[in-house]
Amino acid sequence: MFETVSKIVAAFLTLSIFSFLYKDNPFYKFAEALLVGVSMGYAIPLVYENVFLPYVYTPIFLSHKFIIIIPAILGSLYMFRFSKNLGWLARYPIVFGMGIVGMGVPMSIHSSVLVQMRSAMLPIDGINTALIFIGTVTILLYFFFSKAHKGIYGKFTNVGVWFMMIGFGASFGYTVMARVSLLIGRIQFLLGDCLGLIK
Amino acid sequence: MNKKTIKFFDKIQNIDRRYIYIVVALAIIFPLLIPFNSPTYVTKPTEDIYKKIDSFSGDKSKAVLLSFTHDASTMPELFPMEVSVLRHCFERDIKVFTICWIPAAAPLVDYAINTAKEDFDVQSGIDYCNFGYKPYALRLPIMLGMGDDIAKAVETDSQGRKIENLEIMQDIKNYDDMNLVVDFAASGSAIQWITYARAKFGANIAAGVTAVMVADNYPYLQTGQLMGMFRGLKGAAEYEKLVDVFASYKSEDHPHGRPFSKEIIDQTRVAITGDAVPYKYKKARIGMNAQSVAHIMMIFFILIGNIGYFITRKKVGGKHV
Repeated sequence: MFETVSKIVAAFLTLSIFSFLYKDNPFYKFAEALLVGVSMGYAIPLVYENVFLPYVYTPIFLSHKFIIIIPAILGSLYMFRFSKNLGWLARYPIVFGMGIVGMGVPMSIHSSVLVQMRSAMLPIDGINTALIFIGTVTILLYFFFSKAHKGIYGKFTNVGVWFMMIGFGASFGYTVMARVSLLIGRIQFLLGDCLGLIK
Repeated sequence: MNKKTIKFFDKIQNIDRRYIYIVVALAIIFPLLIPFNSPTYVTKPTEDIYKKIDSFSGDKSKAVLLSFTHDASTMPELFPMEVSVLRHCFERDIKVFTICWIPAAAPLVDYAINTAKEDFDVQSGIDYCNFGYKPYALRLPIMLGMGDDIAKAVETDSQGRKIENLEIMQDIKNYDDMNLVVDFAASGSAIQWITYARAKFGANIAAGVTAVMVADNYPYLQTGQLMGMFRGLKGAAEYEKLVDVFASYKSEDHPHGRPFSKEIIDQTRVAITGDAVPYKYKKARIGMNAQSVAHIMMIFFILIGNIGYFITRKKVGGKHV
């Protein structure tokens, strides 16, 4: 019974969202507002149970690890974002967060820069490595703005533009595929899960 | 060019977009209602993940971690991947852990596990373990902490049990044992696993991403920092086929599935029409039928649109209109 009702509600909300394709209407607005409300309503108790209780309440009040009070206060400073006069206090937890991000910089340099660079410096032993070489060099030249993109230099940078266009095209193709997949998922739900027409 | 043709293309150029929506909907609805057995070609990034996971089969000192960093909005692409990987692990007696980093992912993990385990005699804490929702802010310390001791970094599972007391944790200490992390995300979160778990501890990282994110992750796949990648619905369909052909294959010689073979996967076509394969294990492949038809339709529209554009441009003297 519960499953049937939940499917009917989900199907109604799906169709309400799709109704926007015809034109904006109250059903769409209702479904949109409900999504935001339900997401927040779901997240708040979950975060309370999985974050506040195990990481703040239990250590301080039950295990008496009073050192936790310091990060708890630091985290609470985020709430001052809503105050015009004391909003600056919210910068302290942000600064602390930035410091943690900084901790990952050496490892990021390794994985996102050094290893990536190393594999762009392979010996040219085939068509793929030749394409990687030409693509990397011409795109880097394109982003070198201290020299006007004219003459022979301009021809090289144009090759870089073509490489980028192919890259953007592939990326756009994948984006289209993703969006169609989402539509397929919803139609599979309506026809398969709700109506049982897909076997 | 005669007037009729020009008039036709003029009309096409100014068609109400809602007619196109209807055509797109029909191009998806019909292939779903009337499924057909289109071939699913398995690509190397998916194959590599399968082979890696399969290499752990029956080995109690190895495990796979599935990391969920997405909500329900990207389920059509990511959920079939998750169910297929869990099914593979359950079929081949591989220890599997799950973890999620956003509140909205928590029910999806349960849903994926419950969907896959229906057909298997597996128990939480013995064959699989859900670490549950962990705050995103703790992602970095948990990722790094698991490199030393998983039980200390995660502490409790989704049911509040101490990780260190669970039977599944025997012989599983850190990334040396939980040697493969598959990150399912609609973002570039696999890069964090590469940065922290791979660069520091040498863990194998694979990504299951929505098609939108594929291009962003490709450079890491090319350099081998990602050992494999599920690419959108296509990747999910490929893995469904791999599990059907090998892991869930049953015969007298191979009662618990058969080992991977390139020749077999290239030659085998699994029928998705009929009841041989349950719907939940072929959802991505049925979806790919619709995807193929939709792509053909879009290519047709792009061609028509461009022809119309050049014809109408010619009409006004070669100028851009």
